[in-house]
Amino acid sequence: MSRPLRHVLVLAGAVAAATLAGCGTSSDHALRTTLAALDTPAPRAATGSPSITVRCTDLTASLRPPGSMPAPGAMPSGSYMAAIQRRGYLIAGVNAGLLDFGYLNPANGQIEGFEIDLVKQLARAIFGSDSPSHYRLVALTVPQRLPFVQEGRVDVVVDAITITCQRKQQVDFSTVYYDAKQRVLVPSNSNATGIGAFVGQRVCASAQSAPITVIQQHGATPVGAPQAIDCLVDMQEGRVEAISTDDSILLGFKAQDPNTKLVGPSLADVPYGMAISRAHPDFVRFANGVLARLRAGDARQRLSDRWHLVPTDTLPPAHYDG
Amino acid sequence: MWVTDTELSLEGIGIAAAPAPERSSRAGLAIGWLRERLTTTPGRLVLTSVLLVVGAVCFGLLATGAEQSRERAVRSARTGTEPLLVEAVNLYTSLSDANATVATGLLAGGLEPPAKRARYTHDLLVASRALTALTSESGTSARAPAALGTVANQLPVYSGLVETARANNRQGFPIGAAYLRQAAGMLTTSILPAADQLYETEAERLQSDYRTGTASASLAALIAAIVGAVGLLALAQLYLARISRRILNVPMVLATVALIAVSAWSVIGLLSEQNALGSAQRNGSDSVELLSAANVLISRAQGDLSLALVNRGTDVTDPQDFAAVMRTLQTSGLAGRLEPGFITYRTTANRIENLENSGALGPAIQAAPAASTVSDRLSAQLVTEIAAGQERFTRSAADASSALGGLALAIPLITVLVAALALLGLRQRINEYR
Repeated sequence: MSRPLRHVLVLAGAVAAATLAGCGTSSDHALRTTLAALDTPAPRAATGSPSITVRCTDLTASLRPPGSMPAPGAMPSGSYMAAIQRRGYLIAGVNAGLLDFGYLNPANGQIEGFEIDLVKQLARAIFGSDSPSHYRLVALTVPQRLPFVQEGRVDVVVDAITITCQRKQQVDFSTVYYDAKQRVLVPSNSNATGIGAFVGQRVCASAQSAPITVIQQHGATPVGAPQAIDCLVDMQEGRVEAISTDDSILLGFKAQDPNTKLVGPSLADVPYGMAISRAHPDFVRFANGVLARLRAGDARQRLSDRWHLVPTDTLPPAHYDG
Repeated sequence: MWVTDTELSLEGIGIAAAPAPERSSRAGLAIGWLRERLTTTPGRLVLTSVLLVVGAVCFGLLATGAEQSRERAVRSARTGTEPLLVEAVNLYTSLSDANATVATGLLAGGLEPPAKRARYTHDLLVASRALTALTSESGTSARAPAALGTVANQLPVYSGLVETARANNRQGFPIGAAYLRQAAGMLTTSILPAADQLYETEAERLQSDYRTGTASASLAALIAAIVGAVGLLALAQLYLARISRRILNVPMVLATVALIAVSAWSVIGLLSEQNALGSAQRNGSDSVELLSAANVLISRAQGDLSLALVNRGTDVTDPQDFAAVMRTLQTSGLAGRLEPGFITYRTTANRIENLENSGALGPAIQAAPAASTVSDRLSAQLVTEIAAGQERFTRSAADASSALGGLALAIPLITVLVAALALLGLRQRINEYR
């Protein structure tokens, strides 16, 4: 008689086991792997762009801005910006968990940060206003970032994406808007002066991210967390000895946990660029024009003050190659 | 007489000397005694008395055994296994609700609504009460102690993670969401599966009581005993009628009437007990289980909806789990029992999901309390229905128990009476030969 019920609960149990996990069972892992496979269209990226010969001589060089920027609300006809203007709003992929860059502020339920301000600047340049009706923010997971640009589901992704040669073959990047450095965060009572102190010890970074490789190169044992913020949880609970990732992320962690400190020199350069589809070079030029205007004005100081950024790393000088 | 003669003569020849033949001679004695009784009418009457007493004892033992097996099962279901099953269900339900409540509460920002906070605290209280009840009677299942240990050890860790999430959330730090994610992960991958195991164990034990309490084997044993005893009594009376002029032997007739009365009482008692217990299961504990499953799924859906908003952009599994849970509610037919509230909930949830997917996370979060209100209402409706189901169980189980009332005493007493009357009836005939 109670068999149907047992089925319901067993089913519920199975769904429970297959989801929501931080640290899960093997079936949970299987599901996550399947999801990751769904999220990362690796073969698609390769077949999607036939002209893969991207020069990577100057990694951070991008397309030159137009000679004169179009006036807000009057985008040149046929351009991608005109299409956005017709639609009425810009769609941007952003981060929702990176304090001061792009994060969901629990106090007001809004996504805020330096990167969100950059999205607003883009909206202002297109529409002449950055009222919330002119932009939409889609919070993306790491594996979603590039596919969303390639599939045209978002116009631009401003989500702490490091410019790499491999990624430049899948999407176009704007000029660098933040020049992060990979560094090390430790508990404030630690005597460590750099990554060298952690040979054979556990050091955390986002799973499958570039910092993991650097951690390995320095002889530490890398621990991959599902999200960067999970590394801070792991360090607070004593499961890892240190965290090594972009200082932009680490500064946000330090702000959330005053009992931590950044140590050691930069281990790697981590330049962030806006990702835009390779099908819209005009929009890349336009975005670079918006960034160039910000570099020229007082925005750099204003933004780094507002979001606790390293001023010299904020909106660094641009390189152009075409 | 001639047997004794033979024995004497045999002894006289000096054959019987070994111990084995001695035993056979003892058996021979018994057979001789029996033959002697069989040859004379008073002897046959004495034999009949013995047979009737043995038959009455057999009847008493079989009928009492059948009645006792049923009564034990009813008592166990009423006061043992069903209440424990309810505790196991409470444990699962309150933990799911705690998870949904805390996620929804954190969505509101630094200032968590006091009602959400109170509900979470109450959920944990219900869970630990249920845990205590289950621990004090963890039963015989080997896996129950392990599952109880898992829940007992991890529940404090879970609530610790939730408090850390709260403290960080209050300061506006996104790490709060990371702690919440960890807490929810711990609950769904380790605590709830253990609670599910406890539920399975208790459900199995209740099922076994239901099986014993409605077993046709005990009814069959009772009927066999009745047929045997009544048949024996009837044959004895036929025999008496043949050897005497009187057709009716009053004490024997009275014995038959008493035997048939107690038999009818027993059969009716067992049948109505079985009927009431079946109804306790069908209308009582089964609907408690089914409605509780619906309650768990609604909590789970609401938890997913809130967690999806809290974890937006960090985790894609919550919306998938939400879809799976809603599908389960619909395909299992549970959604149908929740109309029209369920449609309202689905509509509200879809509106939130659409806002969220179109990049309007702020408005989606602002709309979240509406979904929470509907799910709370559905849950309250279910709690009322569950209480009604439990009420039906209690009533029917009490009926089952009272259907057997008095039988435990009546069967042995009336059996003794039957035997006594039968002996009395036979004694009258035997005395006629003295």
